[in-house]
Amino acid sequence: MFYKVLDGVKVLEFGHLISGPFCAKILADLGAEVIKIEEPGGDEARKQEPFLGDIAGPERSGTFLYLNMNKKVITLNPATVTGRKIFAQLLDEADVLVENNSMKRMKTLKLTYTQIKKINPRIIMTSITPFGQTGPYKDYKGGELVNTQMGGVGFISTREPDTSKAPIKYPAHLFSYQAGLCAAVATMAALFYHRGTGSGEQLDISEQESTLIDVMNPVYNYSYTGHIASRAGVLTAAPTHLLPCKDGYIHNGFVRESHWRQFVNDVMGHPDWADKEIFKDYLSRAQHWDELRPLLVEWTMQRTVDEIYRESQGKRIPIGAVYTSAQVLQDRQMAARGFFVEVDHPQVGKIKYPGVPYRFSEISQDKPTAAPLLGQHNEEIYSRLGYSKRDLVKMEESGII
Amino acid sequence: MGTAYLKGIRVIACTWGWAGSWAGSVLSDLGAEVIKMESNQKLDNNRGHFKRGETGVNSGEFNFTNRGTKSCTLNMKKPESVEIFKKLVKISDVVITNYTPRVMPGWGLGYEVLKAVNPGIILVSLPGFGSTGPDHDYVAYGPTIQAASGLTWSHGHPGEEPILAGVNPADPAGGMYGVLSVLAALSYRARTGIGQHVDIAQSEGITTFIPEVILEYTMNNRIRPRMGNIDEIMAPHSVYPCKGKDKWVAIAVGTDAEWETLCKVMGKSELLKDERFSDRFTRWQNQDELNKLIAGWTKGFTPYEVMHKLQKAGVAAGASLNVEELINDPHVKERGVYIEQNHPEAGKSIVFRSPWTSALTATNPPAPMLGQHNDYVFKTLLGMTDDEITRLAEKKVIY
Repeated sequence: MFYKVLDGVKVLEFGHLISGPFCAKILADLGAEVIKIEEPGGDEARKQEPFLGDIAGPERSGTFLYLNMNKKVITLNPATVTGRKIFAQLLDEADVLVENNSMKRMKTLKLTYTQIKKINPRIIMTSITPFGQTGPYKDYKGGELVNTQMGGVGFISTREPDTSKAPIKYPAHLFSYQAGLCAAVATMAALFYHRGTGSGEQLDISEQESTLIDVMNPVYNYSYTGHIASRAGVLTAAPTHLLPCKDGYIHNGFVRESHWRQFVNDVMGHPDWADKEIFKDYLSRAQHWDELRPLLVEWTMQRTVDEIYRESQGKRIPIGAVYTSAQVLQDRQMAARGFFVEVDHPQVGKIKYPGVPYRFSEISQDKPTAAPLLGQHNEEIYSRLGYSKRDLVKMEESGII
Repeated sequence: MGTAYLKGIRVIACTWGWAGSWAGSVLSDLGAEVIKMESNQKLDNNRGHFKRGETGVNSGEFNFTNRGTKSCTLNMKKPESVEIFKKLVKISDVVITNYTPRVMPGWGLGYEVLKAVNPGIILVSLPGFGSTGPDHDYVAYGPTIQAASGLTWSHGHPGEEPILAGVNPADPAGGMYGVLSVLAALSYRARTGIGQHVDIAQSEGITTFIPEVILEYTMNNRIRPRMGNIDEIMAPHSVYPCKGKDKWVAIAVGTDAEWETLCKVMGKSELLKDERFSDRFTRWQNQDELNKLIAGWTKGFTPYEVMHKLQKAGVAAGASLNVEELINDPHVKERGVYIEQNHPEAGKSIVFRSPWTSALTATNPPAPMLGQHNDYVFKTLLGMTDDEITRLAEKKVIY
């Protein structure tokens, strides 16, 4: 955990890959006891790149190691009678169940909310699926690529002069993580309300819906004018672009007219073209971008990213430094806030991971524990449930754990 | 349907732009009473974008991000406003802000002051780069934050320069982390009685969504290249052209069984015997050729036709929806994602509900008019008289 906020809250995770495990990770980071159920083959995320040293293996996936820190892991085959019995025991003592399985699979395993409620009426069941628990697409398959396009962010994934190139997805699995965060927020609200009341509920989280919250400007623009945003015509308040520099790129985002004036006069030293009529306001600059761009680039190419970033920001102009992962890791701001955390893992050793974006003033921050090895907590959890070491051997031989 | 989760919780929202305002709106969907503080002296900058109506202070952007909140106007440059604000803090649970970190302390309303007024108060701040560290006062908008987080550099077509995205993920992510922090602090206070300041850096928020980009470097000392639609192992895995102008469909194949189904649905069973595509690895290696073959098929259909054909057979596929198609999609409609509201000045406005369904979440009324709830706040909550209010309005304290 990072902060002991959800002390005493018991979460059962029956998740795989990203959205479900990220939701449970957020709860684990906040101090809940999270027991993750992996089927005997292990979470698919254990097969996801990047792998340490380019050597694949179930304990070497960066994605898995990040998503499952601070959790306990048991293996269990829920399709067996004994597996189902153990699952029911775990459900009985849990406050929350987080899962991101297809509805069909949950039905086959006799783990629908109606069935789970009978075991534990006060449980909060957080269900994450590509399209939610209702509606014509409820059984459709998803994934990051499909979700990006069905969530509306794909169609406007790039700002390009024309639309001949296909829409793309965003880096890595951005929107699967966002779905996990939305699910965690809903779960926290439900915990705050239900805890101690004896009531519970199922929360229905659609990955499509937690993606389309990023499509804001196009919605009100369409709502008021009927305009349909495209990659070639995404609405912007001012021409906003990435410009190449000596060693990378800056983002120029002159949100206000005063930002532009300040940049041209105080940072660039008022070049003679600055007063040209065609650059007088943002609309005109956007129209004449082809003429303006080379003038800016001639200047930016003489300077480094950090020179332009620091000088502009020092004058309160919103220039952005387009950092690589290496630069993000070296950035003095994130370093000063201690954002990245080093975690020691028995097989991959010490690796730096992104930490959490929040700091609590009245709770001290703890060091997170490494993601567990496959079946690491079998003995601890199963003995708590009344199984002996001999039982564990038999259950392993029977393909249950 | 009732708004139950946060019933009885009062939030003061010193917010502007997108992330903070939207966090307030989500908190109101969860049942909190959210009072948005503004003044003519410092209007939400979102009011300037896409203006609607006669008063000149309503805009699409503002209305979209402030749904369900109450509006109260106090000019914080006046010392009397600071005292009134403190009275409101006394009877509130949470203050949420996404101003740059110097603003509230500059008014004499830093966390220590708020805490002295109300020891249980929870302050959640979510500036672009956090409230501590050497660059905490840097000017931050979505794109500035995304640039610093590693997201912008990683976005684009394979082998090409980075490219700006059409949406700004830093804002919704920051807003959601804001709501999460409010809920966490409320839970902690319910158990211990202790309030606190939770400080969020939006730049860190977005970095928590792209661990693969960071870990490729910390594990293997490599900068993850821009990959467009290419997956680490899945192929076919791309967005393909369809019938019509700028119409596209995404298809993602994971297993051999899905590959077999795809070939059958395309009527191209001969591909199953083609060695270039015989297993996951060769399909991944030869994906450029594979993509051309698939594009030849998808071009004959609309995105929805391809999606339904493949999904019904068990292959992941999805239409690339533009905003009009998204709002009118039959599935999205059935789930009631978008709601048409009638804003007093802006008229018909389409908004979306919070991204979960639960019997206890509601969708609240349209965004308020500027100062619409002044009477409620000053009279009902703070017990001021009409004379006092008139006097304060004349002095541009209530302004």
